[in-house]
Amino acid sequence: MTKPFVLIVEDDPKLNEIITITLEADFEVETCMDGYTAMKRLNNLAPQIVVLDLNLPGTSGRDILTHIRSDERLAKTRVILTTADGRQAETLNNDADITLLKPVSPMQLKELALRISSMD
Amino acid sequence: MSYHFTANMIPLVIAALISGALGLYTWQNRRAIGAIPFSIMMLIVYEWEISYIFQLAGIDLATKAFWDKAMYIGVVFTPVAWLAFALEYTGRKTWMNARRLAMFSVLPVCTIIIIFTNESHGLFWAHQTLSTQGGFILTDNINGPYFWIHAAYSYTLIMIGLILIVRALLRWPAQYRGQMIWVLLATLTPFIANIISVFHIVNVLIDLTPFAFTVTGIGMAFALFRYRLLDIAPIARDIVIEGMKEGMVILDAGRRVIDINRAAQHMIGLSSDQQMIGKPVAEVFARWPELVERFRSVVEGEQEVSDGEGEKQRWYELTFSTLFDENKTMIGRVIMGRDITDRKQAERRLQESEARFRLIVENASDLIFGMDIHGCITYANPAVLRALGYEKEVDVLGREYLDLVTPEMRHKTKRIYQHQLVSKTSNTYNEVPAVAMDGREIWIGLSVQLIQEAGQVTGFQALGRDITAIKQAYDAMLIARDQALEASLAKTQLLSKVSHELRSPLGSILGYAELLEQSAFGQLNEKQKKAASEIIESSKYLASMVNELLDEAQLRANTTTLQQNLFALRSLIEHATSGMDILAQKKGLEFSSYLDPSLPQEIYGDSRRIRQIIINLVNNAIKFTREGRVSLRAWCPNGSCLEIQVSDTGVGIPKEAHSQIFEPFRQVHPDITHENRGAGLGLSIAKQLVDLMNGKITLESELGKGSTFTVLLPLRKAD
Repeated sequence: MTKPFVLIVEDDPKLNEIITITLEADFEVETCMDGYTAMKRLNNLAPQIVVLDLNLPGTSGRDILTHIRSDERLAKTRVILTTADGRQAETLNNDADITLLKPVSPMQLKELALRISSMD
Repeated sequence: MSYHFTANMIPLVIAALISGALGLYTWQNRRAIGAIPFSIMMLIVYEWEISYIFQLAGIDLATKAFWDKAMYIGVVFTPVAWLAFALEYTGRKTWMNARRLAMFSVLPVCTIIIIFTNESHGLFWAHQTLSTQGGFILTDNINGPYFWIHAAYSYTLIMIGLILIVRALLRWPAQYRGQMIWVLLATLTPFIANIISVFHIVNVLIDLTPFAFTVTGIGMAFALFRYRLLDIAPIARDIVIEGMKEGMVILDAGRRVIDINRAAQHMIGLSSDQQMIGKPVAEVFARWPELVERFRSVVEGEQEVSDGEGEKQRWYELTFSTLFDENKTMIGRVIMGRDITDRKQAERRLQESEARFRLIVENASDLIFGMDIHGCITYANPAVLRALGYEKEVDVLGREYLDLVTPEMRHKTKRIYQHQLVSKTSNTYNEVPAVAMDGREIWIGLSVQLIQEAGQVTGFQALGRDITAIKQAYDAMLIARDQALEASLAKTQLLSKVSHELRSPLGSILGYAELLEQSAFGQLNEKQKKAASEIIESSKYLASMVNELLDEAQLRANTTTLQQNLFALRSLIEHATSGMDILAQKKGLEFSSYLDPSLPQEIYGDSRRIRQIIINLVNNAIKFTREGRVSLRAWCPNGSCLEIQVSDTGVGIPKEAHSQIFEPFRQVHPDITHENRGAGLGLSIAKQLVDLMNGKITLESELGKGSTFTVLLPLRKAD
C-alpha cells in the first residue's frame, strides 16, 4: 500500500524540516518554501493532505486555501492550516479541515494527519 | 256754462302752463331731494291756476261758483304739499310719513266737503255776487266763518314750511348767501301775494297767489336742478355735518364762528346746546391759546393736540384750511378735528411693544440680523457686531452677507440661500463659516427664515449662534477618533507581529525537542530524554503564556472581535472538559460535569471564546483546590440565557479580595500560586470575554470551603 501524499508548505526552514521529519515515516512528503512554488506544484499534484502555513512569501496561504477549495481536482485534498496569528486562525477555521495555532507539536500534527488520512 | 276768454288772461295761462310743465318736469327728475312733494305741489298749483282761469272766464255765477269750488281743491292742498316739500328739503323727509300726511290732510278734506255743500249752510262763503272790473267778470265773495279756519290753517302750514326753509338757509355758508336771499324771496312771493289778495292791501283785481306760486316754482326748480349744491346743502348740514364723527368749526374772515357741529362742541367740551355761533375763535378755543396764536396766519396746516390727563387723555388731529372766494379774498377758515385717541393709544402700545422686542433683540446673546431680498444686511444686533468684531451697526449695514462668509464657502452658501428663495422654504438651518473683521474664522449655526408679505418674499430674517467652540471641539474629536483608530490599528498590527515573532521560535523549540524525544535524531539515554521532555513542557507552558498574554493584550486594546458561528453546545463543553479530567486526576481530585437537558443542541456564538472561558474557570478551580472535587454544571434557566457554574472545594477567596479577583496578574494566594505556574490572567480573560458577550460572571466563596463561579451568557439559539 502506497503511503498517502503530503505537501508541506512552510517558509520557515526549521519548521519545514521538523514537519518533514515528523511526517516522512508515514507519508510521501514534498515540501515548498513559498506560496508561488506551492501553487505551481498543486497544478500537477493532488496531495491527500496539505500542511499549509498561512503567512507565506509569494502567494499567501489564504489564496492557496481558496485555490484548493475551488479546484474540482483537489476536492479530496485535506488542509491542515498552521498559523502564528490566533485571529487569522479563527477566521479561516471553517475553510481548513484543521487549524493549528503555532507552536505546533509535531506529535499532535502527526496524530491528526494520520487520523484524517485514514478517514477516506 | 258759458265762458268769455279775453286776451288779458294770456299771462295767467302761460303761468299755469309753466306750473304744469314744472310739475311734470320735476316728476321726471324726482330723484332730486324734495322733487316729489315739489312736483305734486306744482301740479296742485297748476290745477288751482287752471280752475282760476276758468272761473275768471265764466260769465255767469253758476259757472264761476263751480270753478271756485274746483279751484279750492288746489288751494287747500297747496299748503300741505308745501309743508311736505319744506320738510324734505330741510332733511326731515322721514318725519312726514303717510300717517302724518293723512293727519295734515284731514282739515283740507273737510274744507272741500264744506265748500261743495256751501249752498246748504253758507259756512265758507256767506254771499257770492258778480261784478265786472277792468275787463274781468269777478265774484265778490263775502267769506263765511269757516273760511277763516281754512285760512288760518293754510297760513300756519305755509309759515311752518317757510320757517323751516329760512332756518336752513340761514345756516348755509356765507358764500351762498346771495343765492339764499334769492331763494328766500322766491319762497316768500306767494305768501306776500296771498296776503295782498286776501286782505286787499293793494287793489288788484284778481288773486295773484297761484301765479306767485309759479314764480316760486321757477325759482325753486332752478335751485333744485341748476344749483345742485344748494339742494344738498341743508341736507349735508343736518345729516352729514351734524352726524359726522369729525368736529368741524367754520370761521368767517373776522375769526368768528359761523358754524360748529355737535362733534366739535363735544371735543371742545361744550354741551351741544351752548350757542357758539358768532363768538370769536379765541373764546371757543380758550383752552388752547397757543394753538390759536400759532394758526392765526397759517393758511393750511395740521396739528395734534391732547386734552386731559392719564386714562382720560384724548388726542385730536386738527386740520386748518382757509376758504377763499373767486377774487382770492379770504372769506373764512375751516377747522376739522378728528379724535385720534385710539390710534394714539395703538401707536403707544406698538411703540412699547417695539421697545420691548428691541430690548430683547439688542441684549440677545444670539446673532440676530435681517437681510433684504438681495442679501444685503438691513439690521444687525450687537451680538452680530461682537461676534464679527465690528464696532458700529453701520459697518455691516447694506453689506452683502456673502462678504462676511469665508471666501471658499461663498459659492456654496450662495447656492443654499438661492435655493431657499426659489423654493420658498420658510426656514433653513445651516452651519456657515463667517470671517470676522480681524480675519478670524467663526462658525455660525444659522436659522434663516423667509419674510413674506402677501406671498411675495421681501427678505430674510436670520438667527445665529457662534458655534466655533463646538465646531472646534467636534473637529478635535474627529481627529482624536482617527488617531485612536490609527493607534488601535497599530496596536493590533503590533500584537500580530509579536504573536508571530514569539510563536515561530517556540515552534522550532517545541518541534525539535519533540523530535529529539521521539528519537528522530537517534536514540537518547534517559537523562537526555528527561531533558528533552523538560524542554517540551516548558515550551508548551511558554506557548500557553504567550496565548494568554496576547489575549489579555487584545482585550485591553479592545481589538478582540467575537465570531458568530453555529456550534453544538454540549459537545463543545464535553470537549473542553475532556482534558480537565486528566488534570484533576493528577492532583487526586474528583471532577464531575453535569449538562442539563434544558441545554439547546446548537447555539450561535463564539465557540472558541466560550470554550476558553470554561477552560480558564475549570483550570483555575483545579489549580486552587488541594483536595475534594471540582464540578461543572451547565443549564438554561430560561430560553434566553445560558448558565455555566464551576464549583470547587478549594481554599476559597476572602471577601475583601472578591472585587480584585478578576483583575489581571492578581493572585490572592501566593503560596498556591507558587505551586502552580501561571500569569494570573485566566480569570481576567474569562471576565473580559464574558463582558464582551454582554454576559455576567459572579463569584460566591467562603474562605477554606471553596468557590463557585457562575457565568450567565445571553443565548442565541439556532432557528
